[in-house]
Amino acid sequence: MTEGFHPRRGGGVVATFSGFEADLLRSLASQLIELLRNEAAVPHAEADPLEALLDFTGPTTAPEDPVLARLFPTAYPQDEEAAGEFRRFTETELRGGKAGNAAAVIDVLEEAGLPGDLEGEALVIDVELDHGGAMQWMKSMTDMRLALASRLDITEGDEDYWDSLPDDDARVHVHDIYDWLGFLQESLVRAVAP
Amino acid sequence: MSTPAPLEVEEPVADELTATDRPWQTVVWNDPVNLMSYVTFVFRQYFGFTEKKAEKLMLQVHHDGRCTVSSGSREEMERDVQAMHEYGLWATLERAEG
Repeated sequence: MTEGFHPRRGGGVVATFSGFEADLLRSLASQLIELLRNEAAVPHAEADPLEALLDFTGPTTAPEDPVLARLFPTAYPQDEEAAGEFRRFTETELRGGKAGNAAAVIDVLEEAGLPGDLEGEALVIDVELDHGGAMQWMKSMTDMRLALASRLDITEGDEDYWDSLPDDDARVHVHDIYDWLGFLQESLVRAVAP
Repeated sequence: MSTPAPLEVEEPVADELTATDRPWQTVVWNDPVNLMSYVTFVFRQYFGFTEKKAEKLMLQVHHDGRCTVSSGSREEMERDVQAMHEYGLWATLERAEG
């Protein structure tokens, strides 16, 4: 079990992961990339088909998937038109940034020695991040936690509920992963914060 | 036409200088997911706030459900909101009162 991130002598942060943990992080990152690409960031058809075809700057309506809706919140809750314009000019870039951060997590894990196909559990991986890398990981872990929380329907102060579920409930396992990501995130913030 | 809405520019009025100078604000909302340490870190990192100020704003988000973290022109606030979304924080824009 990883002890999380620690500041590294000479700058940056470091964490040691088991092969299983590294593989789990890679799997979460690739699911995130899949999701970001899944519901295409394209504008919905508008009244004028030609206009819709020529308008490739970005979507104007909130994503239908609740995870994506949380990752790309409505900026103007009281003003649909302004919200649509904001989305048109930001969502494509935001999606690209989030997918890029998740891809960076995968690259770092594989460069640190995580094989494409993990077999056996003896593998131990040291992940070293400079400040830029730490920021990418921090943002991507946030996205992973937001995604899992949306799927689990996490609410404020619901810890007792999760504790009360029987161990064979599949959601308990996912909630454990969510908690573990929180621990990892907390350790990274503490390791980076001056 | 799907052209961007023109920015509304308010004429400065001498005795309402503050409101006209900073007519928009970025609001960050509480969510059950983001860690308090992370929210504080983001406020320090992005806005360059002191630890004390960042923590105060984070606690305000946590206890009141929302907090205004910056104010300025609409363009500036759209940049701030986009940055908050990049960090995974739930942020919106609104017109400053008064």
